[in-house]
Amino acid sequence: MILKLKQEIIEVLNLEDVQPSDIDNDAPLFGEGLGLDSIDALELIVLMEKNYGIKLQDPAKGKEIFKSVNVMADYIQKNRTK
Amino acid sequence: MGQLDYVILESDRAVVSGRVLEHESSGNAMLAELYRAHIADWPKFFKMDTLSKVGFVASELLLKELGEKRCESEEYTQNRAVVLFGTTASLCADKNYQETIQDRDNYYPSPALFVYTLPNIVTGEIAIRNHYRGETSFYVVEGADAAQMAFHLSCAFADDSTQSILAGWVDSTANDDFKSFFTLVRREDVGGLEAKLKTIMNNLNI
Repeated sequence: MILKLKQEIIEVLNLEDVQPSDIDNDAPLFGEGLGLDSIDALELIVLMEKNYGIKLQDPAKGKEIFKSVNVMADYIQKNRTK
Repeated sequence: MGQLDYVILESDRAVVSGRVLEHESSGNAMLAELYRAHIADWPKFFKMDTLSKVGFVASELLLKELGEKRCESEEYTQNRAVVLFGTTASLCADKNYQETIQDRDNYYPSPALFVYTLPNIVTGEIAIRNHYRGETSFYVVEGADAAQMAFHLSCAFADDSTQSILAGWVDSTANDDFKSFFTLVRREDVGGLEAKLKTIMNNLNI
């Protein structure tokens, strides 16, 4: 699940030259490292809905969910509908 | 008017002030190849639509050719405008975005594609990269007309603060199909501007 999620993040955010192994499971997705911005956050919300059927009603919740790949994967496992 | 510095980018051709830049690929792959070979420090490039990628790479190659150090002087930041022209505007990005909302059963509007559905985004990408604070404009025109372009560019100097303009033509009819030229117009160049633009446009066949 972690590897698949990393691959999906890399693809949907066009993180060219980034390998799944470059993304630390516990490192924050935003604020440092990958250099993601607010549009990337919206794309991750779309990714969760499209691939896992999770509709995030409150976009502010993304701040908590996108803390790290581990946190995101855990949220998906608990809330996925597909 | 000094030396004629310009950049031409076409789907399978890259020229800097008359010198052909070597590359092995074409289309979007060529843009990525040129980015990796000559720029390589702005990962946001890979998130851009084709129009912005073309404008970004062309502007970077031109500034490199001019030997400017980014943010070195106010002429390069406070007093520089970015004025571009093209016929198809953001049509390519519009189509890509439309594909994400075409199917009711697979309706997932892409925010990353949506943000490029305006042609002037390319001017913003260049201004952000170089900390330009001057005017940014993208004129959607019926065709490449040196006199019309020279007129609009000369008008950009009317505000007194603008000292130079990163100017050019950017057109993308499909993701791998584009034509562009970039040049720098200084306040003192306005007199011979139309002739200068015609010379470059003849090289681009527009």
